[in-house]
Amino acid sequence: MSSFKTTMIGYVGYRGREGQISFLLHRITGLGTALFLTIHILDTSLVYFFPQLYSHAIDVYRTTAFGIGEIALVFSVLFHGVNGLRVAYVDLIAPKLWTIPKSRSSVRWTLAVTLILWLPAAGIMLYNILRHNYGLFGG
Amino acid sequence: MQINLKIFRYLPDSGNKPHYDKYVMEVNPTDRVLDVLEQVRADNDPSLAYRRSCAHGVCGSDAMQINGHNALACKVLVKDLDSTDITIEPLRGLNVLRDLIVDMEPFFDHFRSVQPYFINDSELPADGKERLQSPTERERFDDTTKCILCAACTSSCPSFWADGKYVGPAAIVNAHRFIYDSRDTAATERLEIMNEATGVWRCRTIFNCTEACPRDIKITKAIAEVKKAIITGKLEN
Repeated sequence: MSSFKTTMIGYVGYRGREGQISFLLHRITGLGTALFLTIHILDTSLVYFFPQLYSHAIDVYRTTAFGIGEIALVFSVLFHGVNGLRVAYVDLIAPKLWTIPKSRSSVRWTLAVTLILWLPAAGIMLYNILRHNYGLFGG
Repeated sequence: MQINLKIFRYLPDSGNKPHYDKYVMEVNPTDRVLDVLEQVRADNDPSLAYRRSCAHGVCGSDAMQINGHNALACKVLVKDLDSTDITIEPLRGLNVLRDLIVDMEPFFDHFRSVQPYFINDSELPADGKERLQSPTERERFDDTTKCILCAACTSSCPSFWADGKYVGPAAIVNAHRFIYDSRDTAATERLEIMNEATGVWRCRTIFNCTEACPRDIKITKAIAEVKKAIITGKLEN
């Protein structure tokens, strides 16, 4: 079996605990953020090469689908950042966290901090989508 | 109690693809998973292949994936699985030789690569007897002496699944055992091996290895201590 197939089946099939879940979320959110950055660099480059297309790209960003994608993007950036800080802190600074219970707890805290940071941002972004795309809240 | 058992089956060169055989069986809740496998082999299919030796959690022969989690079949009771559906698969990341038997040679190659033996070419003490060590010095690496090389940790590690060149948790545990032995003089060489691209930096601190270890070795802690020793250049107590 190829390493890729073994890895993918392992990601899904192996029943790891919080550590594996945070590892997978870290990868997914990292890839999601990298994908967005790539698209963002490409669409910004349109200003220079094809200015008319740039306006069209901005219109596409204002659609509901992209708006929801941006809410997910904010979660990705926040989780990836907070979890990255957690991993660096655990690995390099805090030997007292090198136990299973404390590791599990640190992952739960990471998710809680991410949600606390994300929910207000998600609320504002959702409000703007409903206001500008659906005419709600006096839009 | 009645269980629904699913066992991974594969015989290379037989022409059959990997598949699962299913059995509905009556077992005792206090039976071990190894007892269940023995029952299948005795009553249903004598061709079922798996490793076993001591059957008491000491030899490390019967590590396998039980309901998606690595463990020794001789240490897991059916009642502790909290399910009547039991799926048994070979260890991940090592090639299957037959059914639940995997090729352990790459795993042992990694083990050998960390020099898992005592190195000290200096003169013996004046009395010509043993090199003494205090209880505190012995305690420093006590946890990592417990490894039985079952491969449950290494084959639970996503970094190892992705790249079999990574030495894996078990090899690092055995390096740790000698790195922190006050009588050994090759810690620097072992830390250099651990600092290579295939060494400790592949660890993502996700604790799958520690969760899987049947000897409750604090593997991730040992790996973190080796990482810290590489960064600081000191073997802290």
